[in-house]
Amino acid sequence: MNATETPVEAAIAELRLGPPSRWLWGTTIVGILAFIGTQIWGFTTPPDANMGNLVKILFVHVPTAEISFLAVLVMFISSILYLVRRQERHDLLGAAGAEVGAILTALTLIQGSIWGRPTWGIWWTWDARLTSEAVMLVILVGYLALRSFTEDSGRRARWSAAVAILGALNSVIVYWSVQWWRTLHQPHSSPMTMARPYRYALRANDISMLLIFIALVAWRYRAARLERAAELLREEAALSQEGSHAAF
Amino acid sequence: MPHSEWDYVMAAYIITWVVLAGYAIYVVRRLRAAERDREEIQQRLEVES
Repeated sequence: MNATETPVEAAIAELRLGPPSRWLWGTTIVGILAFIGTQIWGFTTPPDANMGNLVKILFVHVPTAEISFLAVLVMFISSILYLVRRQERHDLLGAAGAEVGAILTALTLIQGSIWGRPTWGIWWTWDARLTSEAVMLVILVGYLALRSFTEDSGRRARWSAAVAILGALNSVIVYWSVQWWRTLHQPHSSPMTMARPYRYALRANDISMLLIFIALVAWRYRAARLERAAELLREEAALSQEGSHAAF
Repeated sequence: MPHSEWDYVMAAYIITWVVLAGYAIYVVRRLRAAERDREEIQQRLEVES
């Protein structure tokens, strides 16, 4: 904070609210085009010898699941950074990551269930992978609920950082659940575990989902910073009104 | 009536597109509202000062 800045001006400056960068616009446009292209690619791959056409679901399910881990990682790292540096923008980035993570985790569960019905014969089972993934969704929704119930910004950031750090540990269980327990869910699918015609389509879908994720988190983060700036200005307006009343 | 493989494939893809597009629209609306809100308060403060 420099000598001429008020505390509110300093707090808003710390949020680093410039206009959206060309980099952000570029990632968004390339991400949308890449997503459309790679979805068509995944959709038009030939049927698999064992799974038939159901293999096409893996081109949406696997990238969504993989990127949901990344969302939890963003929330985890941002929360640690907040607790170390106490800068509000880290808290807001963590919240943006958690919100996108909740959407992707819910989607992963839905897509998995749609794939499981014709393959395993059931929509749902209390298997270690499915259950730990459902717990991850509950943690992310709980984190977002906690934020919406806590009005004081400092307390909101501290409490949610603690929940985020503890909750993110569950992603280790989600990841290793298929190795640690005997599960109905097969071991991790990745481009390396798939036959050649599917490998490149899966890798391309991974990349396009990553770009979509970056764009969604970046725009959501920007909205959160703008909302916080408006909140700070509103507080300043209320204080200045109180001050003018007190003067009379 | 049993569902075909294509029903499940279509359901997975359509739900993915609808959820992602719906969330993107929500983010854009929130972004616009926040931008408008901030500008309004900023102007009010400038007028008052």
